[in-house]
Amino acid sequence: MARTLSLRMRIGLAIVLAMLVVLGGRLFHVQGLDPAGHAQEAISNRLHTVELPAARGNILDSQNRLMASSADRYDIVADPRMTGDYTVSDEALGMRRPVTVEETAQELAVILERDYHEVLQALTAEDTHYSVVARSVTPEAYQQVAALRAPGIYAEPVSERTYPAGSVAGSVVGFMGSDGPLEGIELVQNEALTGEPGERIYEVGADGVRIPTATYEEIPAQDGQDVRLTIDQDLQWFAQEAIAAKANEYNAQWGNATVVDLREGNEGKILAMADSETVDPADPGATDELFRRPLALTQSFEPGSTGKAVTFAAALEEGLISGDDPFSVPYRLTVNGETFRNARSHDQYQMTAAGIFARSYNTGTIMIGNKMDEQTRYDYLRRVGYDQPIDIGLGIDGQSYVRPPEEWDRRQPMTTQFGQGYEGTVMHNVQLYQMLANGGVRHPLRIVDATVEPDGTEHPVVAEPEQVFSPDTSEEMLKLMEGVVEYGSAQGAAIEGYRVGGKTGTAEAASRSGGFDGYTVNFVGVAPLDDPQFLVSVTVHRPAGEFGDWDLTDTFQDIMTHTLTSYDVPPSDAESEAYDGFVGERQDYPW
Amino acid sequence: MSVLPMEELRAAGRADGQRAQGRQAQDRPSLEALPKVRRRQRGMLASVLLLLLTALGAVLAVNIHVANSQYQVVQLTNQHRDLVHQNQALAQQVQFLESPQSLSNSAVAVGMVMPATAGTFDLSSAEIVSSAEAASSSEVPSNFVGAPGYSQPETAAADVSQQASGAPSGLLGAGALHTLRQAPAGENGSGGGEESASRPGSALHGGTIPAPDVTD
Repeated sequence: MARTLSLRMRIGLAIVLAMLVVLGGRLFHVQGLDPAGHAQEAISNRLHTVELPAARGNILDSQNRLMASSADRYDIVADPRMTGDYTVSDEALGMRRPVTVEETAQELAVILERDYHEVLQALTAEDTHYSVVARSVTPEAYQQVAALRAPGIYAEPVSERTYPAGSVAGSVVGFMGSDGPLEGIELVQNEALTGEPGERIYEVGADGVRIPTATYEEIPAQDGQDVRLTIDQDLQWFAQEAIAAKANEYNAQWGNATVVDLREGNEGKILAMADSETVDPADPGATDELFRRPLALTQSFEPGSTGKAVTFAAALEEGLISGDDPFSVPYRLTVNGETFRNARSHDQYQMTAAGIFARSYNTGTIMIGNKMDEQTRYDYLRRVGYDQPIDIGLGIDGQSYVRPPEEWDRRQPMTTQFGQGYEGTVMHNVQLYQMLANGGVRHPLRIVDATVEPDGTEHPVVAEPEQVFSPDTSEEMLKLMEGVVEYGSAQGAAIEGYRVGGKTGTAEAASRSGGFDGYTVNFVGVAPLDDPQFLVSVTVHRPAGEFGDWDLTDTFQDIMTHTLTSYDVPPSDAESEAYDGFVGERQDYPW
Repeated sequence: MSVLPMEELRAAGRADGQRAQGRQAQDRPSLEALPKVRRRQRGMLASVLLLLLTALGAVLAVNIHVANSQYQVVQLTNQHRDLVHQNQALAQQVQFLESPQSLSNSAVAVGMVMPATAGTFDLSSAEIVSSAEAASSSEVPSNFVGAPGYSQPETAAADVSQQASGAPSGLLGAGALHTLRQAPAGENGSGGGEESASRPGSALHGGTIPAPDVTD
């Protein structure tokens, strides 16, 4: 009896143990090994991963005023498999009333300001579960859509760029396309502006609410950096108005006004780069393609007489002339069988080098330029930046071409001395006068001041200055430029209380079919000459009318006066240091 | 049924003399009195049970509370998002109104003109360096640069003024908005009399009180 009992017990025990092992094994199989992936599936059903988009950095002007920012918008999308007729509880009726898909489309069309048929088409499209009803709608519109409680209508959050300044500096700021940045700072600084998106992982219950005690991970997004420009928004607007008025007055193809800072520590910063017409980044398609990129970089032209500054500065630097050296200047000059004339006929004048510069006489310039050989003059053109691309931080290379002396035709050895026979952009001209005004030191022009991290750390853009001319040459050139405004070709540029200097230029514009049609007129000026603070360049391309009809000095004067006033540069009663234009007592020879 | 060790059973099988003794031992299972549960200990047991129940209840309550707060968190998050959007819309409106073109347009709307030369004094020598000029009423800024495209619907603007009614008036609150949207009725004062008279539709002639009607 005891024997059988113990045997039974043993068997029973063994069976119980065996079953325990089986159950334990199964438990381990299901829970521990999870070959069918049920546990994993359950977790991944609960797990939600939400991308935390990184905010795109702002674009600011030099005074931290907003030029481009981002705002939350929603794409309204429909899943046509889910849309259809539905019922909605009507409080007025106190019961549920049916709503047809046509009525939904009608209501959506009103809220989203879209065409009814297009909306209906999107809601009832076949063979798709994703059709876009409207893009980039405001949060207010999204809330109205959500209030309809229509099935199968969803909203996807997107970020949209806003440009509060509109077309002020629009071509500098650039714009975005549907797939990313297309132009300007938006494109070239895309890497800095774009941040690193983060991620939030959490578990949700069946009701869609997060399970408080379960997994929760958050990798925060790294917001993009802000980009601060050197542009002064107010000045940019003023310059845009001024140049638009000028281009309009002369019915020109385009015009550009550029303001550059020459103040110590800020040399080379572009404060304004205004085109006669500018793209609004919010609607780039509305503007002619020519005006979607900054003209000061995209348009090359012959600088004309503003290019005489290279010849004069080179001759001064080589010690071949001084400002008051006398020259006997004819109206017509023949060199190597090629005849050159001045703009208007005149008697043979006994002039100083300063007088030649002030009256912009081609013949006199040739007499000075020919003191140097062709290679020297070519080298100086290259040293000041012509024949080389110029990039101011916009990712656009401003092009300039100068043929080497061995490829020059019969006239080019002389025409290159007065700014013809080669071409450059507004930026090339501006860079030349910047170095002449800043003690002969080239401070590369730039438009990006700094990138600013979200925590406020700044990464300033630094530019290496380079001594091109001696300070003496620079000082002499300023005196020559003062003569241009005092008694030369740009007397309208004078500003009361300030010493102003500059140089006019007019060159024939090369036509596409070869030869020339129309002119490019420009003026570059600096003030105040006792300590140059600002440079203003005005360029107008293909103005209507005849040679000699055009005067840009009033536009220059407007912009320069505004700049000096808004930057608190006080007037001074400093004496003019310009040289006499003519040899002897008499100075008022006819033009 | 009690279980005896096997050795004991075997030993019982071997010796008869011992069997009786063993059977006796098997018949009489060793009984032992349970220790008396004393009153104090009973109270202790009750309090432990109570503690357990309380703990259970507390855990349950906390759990329910946390779960409910989660709904509140969702609600607050939505509220936060809505407020952020509202703030964004308002900030955007301010930014658009702050753009140079809009400022210029607003300035023209209230009858402002371009400044003329400002007077300057040299404080160190107490001299007038340049004298000021009166601004010309015809020097209205040009309007070549278009105002920025403002994507916000008109309703947003109306919402704002309603909400700003509780805000401080004057330059800091609703007043500022009002000033930007509507030209005040000739606050330029007596100096601008000629100018505002030339403006069409201005019956106040630069003042704030309408002139007496002299139609009869």
